[in-house]
Amino acid sequence: MPSITEAVNLAHLHLLLNHIPTVGAVVALGLLLLAFVRRSEPLKHAGLEVLFLIALLTLPVYMTGAAAYQTLRKVPTVSDTAIRIHQDVALYGFTAIELAGFVGWVALWQSRRRGRAAPGLVPATTVLLIVSLAIMARAANLGGEIRHPEILSGAAGPAIDPSEFVATSISSVMVNSQWVWPAAETVHFLGLCLSFGVLLAINLRILGVMKQVAFSDLHRLLPWGMLGFGANLITGMLFFVGQPGQYLSSAPFYWKVIFLMIAGANFLYLTVFGKAWKADGGVKFDANLADKAMAVTSLFAWVAVLYAGRMLPFLGKSF
Amino acid sequence: MGLLNWLESSSLGVWVHESPSVWAQPTILTLHTMGMAVLVGACWVLDLRLLGISRNIPLSAFRWVFRAVAIALVVNLVTGLLLFTARASTWGTALPFLVKMVLVVASAATVLPIRQYVLRGVDGQEAGGNARLLAIASIFAWSGAITAGRLLAYLVP
Repeated sequence: MPSITEAVNLAHLHLLLNHIPTVGAVVALGLLLLAFVRRSEPLKHAGLEVLFLIALLTLPVYMTGAAAYQTLRKVPTVSDTAIRIHQDVALYGFTAIELAGFVGWVALWQSRRRGRAAPGLVPATTVLLIVSLAIMARAANLGGEIRHPEILSGAAGPAIDPSEFVATSISSVMVNSQWVWPAAETVHFLGLCLSFGVLLAINLRILGVMKQVAFSDLHRLLPWGMLGFGANLITGMLFFVGQPGQYLSSAPFYWKVIFLMIAGANFLYLTVFGKAWKADGGVKFDANLADKAMAVTSLFAWVAVLYAGRMLPFLGKSF
Repeated sequence: MGLLNWLESSSLGVWVHESPSVWAQPTILTLHTMGMAVLVGACWVLDLRLLGISRNIPLSAFRWVFRAVAIALVVNLVTGLLLFTARASTWGTALPFLVKMVLVVASAATVLPIRQYVLRGVDGQEAGGNARLLAIASIFAWSGAITAGRLLAYLVP
């Protein structure tokens, strides 16, 4: 069986995935705007849910882009500066859409608890979404220019000193500083425990442990899971931007990102989990078989993320 | 010192340290990490509840935490001992490792009074000041233990 690192051409995958953030953000934005016009809560939720999934999928888009860079830098006709500019704008776009996704998630979480989000939260999400869409559209345009000279707006600019790029600066801090990498690792482990603990409790409840507890009371814990998730997204991205090469050649890293997508989708499901939200808040609520299968999948996905992450230095070569 | 050297040069210590098998150090370390996630994660969820997060949940609903903690503690004791045998002579005298051990013992020690409090507690009764202090101590002690454990890899290479 070929290794996943040989079976998947990440540079090619980038060309498939790179349309998702921009097209998806347009869809999410359309749903949110329509929700404002029609004053429709369900439409608003749909828009926020799409946004969350887009924020999730932008992670592999950025990562496969870094892989495409590694492939293309060997091609003499491709401008290194053009790719680096694209990468920097993509990093800004990634940061913006993650922020939009986070604020949108808070709005979703509040809607589930109180029927509607705090005033201003959904408009704020919409503004953040518009900003990230603008940045990502710019990134998409710059990315297109790398291999499509027919759309080039002008002559290629002068070469820029690599140290002036954001991704390069982050990388040099991560690699050269004695304490930043270990500190980020420590935060990554603390965040992992927090996320895992919260999701363990909620999924155990779905599986039938502590049945006397209303699901809505456990829902109150989700932001703490999100706190751990967010800390690990930030520190994880620091590792990736710091040393992309060592992850892109690592089979467990591929699996880690795949299972992270599953775990992330499950996190969204737990946030908006429909059936448990009855008038009694779901006391004695017995999840059906599909929900229990979902809970098992979620716990398995988190264990797989842990396994692949901890095995990075052994099954792959990254640290 | 003799004991530490003997441990490290025992066939078990050498196997953990030098075997290229994925079942040696890689798997032991991964199990140690998973045990940590269950152990600390479960403790922190209960600590949050004691501090007043989702206070609608009756404390007695958290009995599962102690079973999870017991299992994870056993897993991490065994895997931790195995990892220690591989590096006994270095870690046995290294300050970061000793600090980690003190913090692990302190963290685990907070579980006992918290368990007593939860098992004895009457439903609907809010956690008192002592329980809150214990919860805060538990959060910080576990954080410290994780920090020391993680930094061990860098401070005592």
